[in-house]
Amino acid sequence: MSLLSAHLLPCFVYAVILLFFFNKTGLNIFAILNSIKYFILLLFFIFIARALTVEGHIIFSFYGISITEQGLNEGFLVAFKFFLVMVTGLLFSTTTQPSSVKSAVQWFLKPIPFVPEKRVAVMISLSLSFMPVILKQAKEISDAQKARCGDLQKNPVKRIIRLVLPLLKKTFLSADSLVLAMESRCYNDDRTDPEFLPSGKENYFLVGSFVISLSLACL
Amino acid sequence: MQESIIDINAICHTFSDGYIGIKNISVSIYKGEFIILSGKNGSGKTTLLRHLNGLLLPDSGIIFVNGQDVSKHLVQTRKTVGMVFQDADTQIVGDTVFDEVAFGLENLKVNRAEINEKVSLILENLNLFHLKDRSPSTLSGGEKRKLAIAGILVMDPEVIVFDEPFSNLDYPGTLQVLSTIINLNRSGHTIIIATHDVETIICEATRIIIMEKGLIKEDGEPDRIVKYLESYGVKEPCSSKFGLGLQPWLT
Repeated sequence: MSLLSAHLLPCFVYAVILLFFFNKTGLNIFAILNSIKYFILLLFFIFIARALTVEGHIIFSFYGISITEQGLNEGFLVAFKFFLVMVTGLLFSTTTQPSSVKSAVQWFLKPIPFVPEKRVAVMISLSLSFMPVILKQAKEISDAQKARCGDLQKNPVKRIIRLVLPLLKKTFLSADSLVLAMESRCYNDDRTDPEFLPSGKENYFLVGSFVISLSLACL
Repeated sequence: MQESIIDINAICHTFSDGYIGIKNISVSIYKGEFIILSGKNGSGKTTLLRHLNGLLLPDSGIIFVNGQDVSKHLVQTRKTVGMVFQDADTQIVGDTVFDEVAFGLENLKVNRAEINEKVSLILENLNLFHLKDRSPSTLSGGEKRKLAIAGILVMDPEVIVFDEPFSNLDYPGTLQVLSTIINLNRSGHTIIIATHDVETIICEATRIIIMEKGLIKEDGEPDRIVKYLESYGVKEPCSSKFGLGLQPWLT
């Protein structure tokens, strides 16, 4: 049973497990919540939409708009599930180095024929490491437009086009420079494999994950 | 007699849009030289540099690196001639400082133990070892440029080519990179720097080559060339203008 189709109790159990891992990693949970505040706002809208649209036992009605008990329950459950998925992703991305993700992708794709696993792994790694560069470029373009009163343009489509076109141009130019830099350092697919340093606890984590997943599915 | 490491014989390069990058360039570069390649924007400096590393191949003419034709020995050429690009941000491919420096050796399929040993040594030599687990995107401009140099140096090149190494750097960053380049030259590396701002390095250079419209216009010792710089759109260093000769920027 996947997390999305699970009911409330396993979700709470999973939330407790997540809290345990957050505590173990020493991450500031409030800082994490602050970083996803807009996503939480979106979840609130999902909750309201569900509460207003699901039919059931009416607990409040105003000018034909009704909030049902089933709607509140379902809205909370859906929003909570999305929240857990988001936080799990955040926990993963903040505790896992991109190079480890790259190595894992390469390892998983290795047995699949006709898939150039090393090239795919390098592409994933480059995408991850170039995100800060692309975001920095987007901020520079946005600031340059604001400096010329670009924020007076209220049409969101025009604003997006004005941002996206120069950003794409810059990104493609950066990609060209990257290709040259990689070529100049003899890049090819036949490279030294990434280093895998086993901690010796992999089997415990595998069994633990399996047991937790099975328990959640049974709840 | 000095031993040449790069011999360029009558090379020409025209881009696909018809723009002529370089025209009939012939020049020899000798081991241990410190060369400034200067000229206005669009004079052909970067195009020439990219031929030295085999990133561009000439339409006509031939380039030899250590006696080998570049077009037939690309990997060997790129091991011999390392290139540090203008924009360090788009040159960095690793997730951490350590991975970034290891990239070139991984491409050469060097075994992991040797990679770890060589990368650690280079990071220590360039005083970057304490940053080995940091993401390159969090480094300062000077540190990023030094990291780009480390990524080249680990491949043990004889010649290191820099394209505008001091652009977008603050004063401490410029000092860091300048002292690294000078130390590299003193340790026996041949250095070629393309720049239109010669003031920072002219005192260290053994030779200046001035380009204009894809041609080499001047080639000689800095003391002789310095007075002609402004006629080719390159600013003459202040010390020379005020009659103090060429003064070192790094004290």
